[in-house]
Amino acid sequence: MAKTKQELYDELSAAVIDMDEELSAALSAEAVEAGLDAFETIDQGLAKGMEQAGQLFDEGEYFVPELLMCADALNAGVDILEPHIKTEERAQAHKIVIGVIQGDTHDIGKNLVKLMLSSSGFDVIDLGRDVPPDVFVERAIAQGAKIIMISSLMTTTMDGMTEVVRLLTQKGVRDEIKVAVGGGPVSQGFANKIGADGYSYNANQAVKLANELVGR
Amino acid sequence: MTDISPKERLDRALLGKPTDRAPVVCPGGMMNAAIVDVMNKTGHTLPEAHHDADKMSDLAFDVYENTGFENFGIPFCMTVEAEALGSAVDFGSLECEPKIQKEIFPSVHDAVYLPIGAIEKTLRAGSVIQAIHMLSAKHLDVPVIGSLTGPISAAASLIDPMTFLKQLRREKETSHKVIDYVVNQLISYAKLMADNGAAVISIADPTATGEILGPKFFDEYAVCYLNKITDAIHEIGVPVIIHICGDVRMVKPQLQKLHGDVLSVDAFVELKQLKTELGEMRTMGNLSTYLLEFGKADEIFNQAKHLTTKGIDVLAPACGLSTSTPSENIAAFTTAVKEG
Repeated sequence: MAKTKQELYDELSAAVIDMDEELSAALSAEAVEAGLDAFETIDQGLAKGMEQAGQLFDEGEYFVPELLMCADALNAGVDILEPHIKTEERAQAHKIVIGVIQGDTHDIGKNLVKLMLSSSGFDVIDLGRDVPPDVFVERAIAQGAKIIMISSLMTTTMDGMTEVVRLLTQKGVRDEIKVAVGGGPVSQGFANKIGADGYSYNANQAVKLANELVGR
Repeated sequence: MTDISPKERLDRALLGKPTDRAPVVCPGGMMNAAIVDVMNKTGHTLPEAHHDADKMSDLAFDVYENTGFENFGIPFCMTVEAEALGSAVDFGSLECEPKIQKEIFPSVHDAVYLPIGAIEKTLRAGSVIQAIHMLSAKHLDVPVIGSLTGPISAAASLIDPMTFLKQLRREKETSHKVIDYVVNQLISYAKLMADNGAAVISIADPTATGEILGPKFFDEYAVCYLNKITDAIHEIGVPVIIHICGDVRMVKPQLQKLHGDVLSVDAFVELKQLKTELGEMRTMGNLSTYLLEFGKADEIFNQAKHLTTKGIDVLAPACGLSTSTPSENIAAFTTAVKEG
């Protein structure tokens, strides 16, 4: 075989950055056939590409349509590699519960954060949009999640974020479950005010924040 | 110019003619001012007033009387168009504005094209038109602003937005076809609003931001179709407000191409600076809705006074108001502007 492992990883990264679903799937199949470790292929190939796509998003080179298409390319590869991941590698993923707070149905931002987190190796449990505060807390406890991420696009719904923090304290799990907030009207100042553990202004920063919060 | 009516003041401000002072308005739609305080006081409430023309006009009048905004702004949501074109709507409650429950089409290829005029044939759009008619006939001095959901937001309320955003890039031809269809429907509806007495049409397009689309697609889709609607409304002699959400820095060259009479922007945009970059277009804004909800009345008063020194043509909230904004806070805003 002419291609080295690193060359294949680099091509996978490039396929994601170039939003090329078919190439991503073909290269992933090639990796499986070559007997490469599936987890490493995702991590060093596909996820690296997504990380760079996130970087381009940060720099204003890519916007939401591009980032969504990169994610499609990533997922096309992951679909092929995933069945080949060894079980002991699977167990390491930290769980994050994510959703849009009650009253708010704008979920473009939340969906972006979700796909960036998933591609960075987090196990993301998506509660969808219009989620009541108590559901965030119940699901996070039930799932053993490390982080709750809440998004809001309207000032109207920001109170719900405060309520999530309050409920976590009331149930005595405030130290185990971190809270991160984001969305149009939300700011670092607001996050501090309600006692959240973090704020991120875009999907790419949310990954860095999640890594910090779980100490990765 | 001492006895200038609110309607004439707004008209003059939108067209760049001299006025005694800038008007202070809230256009309705995405910028709905039907706050809980007002509804609890008067008993004309949402969600009922989303449906019935009498209740809608009563509530619009209550808002005018209790907030000090110098206009009537209807409807109170941005779901009328998408509902009429097929999507399911959750009408919310007193505190919570209506929202699209589910977009009817999974992708642009699934779109079903209804005959033009479909929006105004529905009961709810009919109520909006009727309420505009009643308010404008009864209150000749107060401008009625007819609010329209912008082309990209309306299309993204019909097509699953995550797929739609990708298809703007991947399936350009069909995407253009769908948006053009939505735009033709919007034009027909907006014209009927104007025919029935709307003095101004306001278009808010929160999905069409520079941050979401990037400059290229903002230009190709948002500017192109906002201008198509604007031109059609200008043809019948009615001025147009355009609201663009979010950070507009990266789309400033594209904003200059908009045909609207006035551009309304979010709180963190420095309007004094933007004004110098817009050429002909006037500016509207941009008192923080966060300040309006959580600030103290005197802070709001001072901030509003400060805004009036910036040469902004029309004063307004910067974005969608929270329904739990206290009415004394809005009164502090409008009073500060009126004192000049």
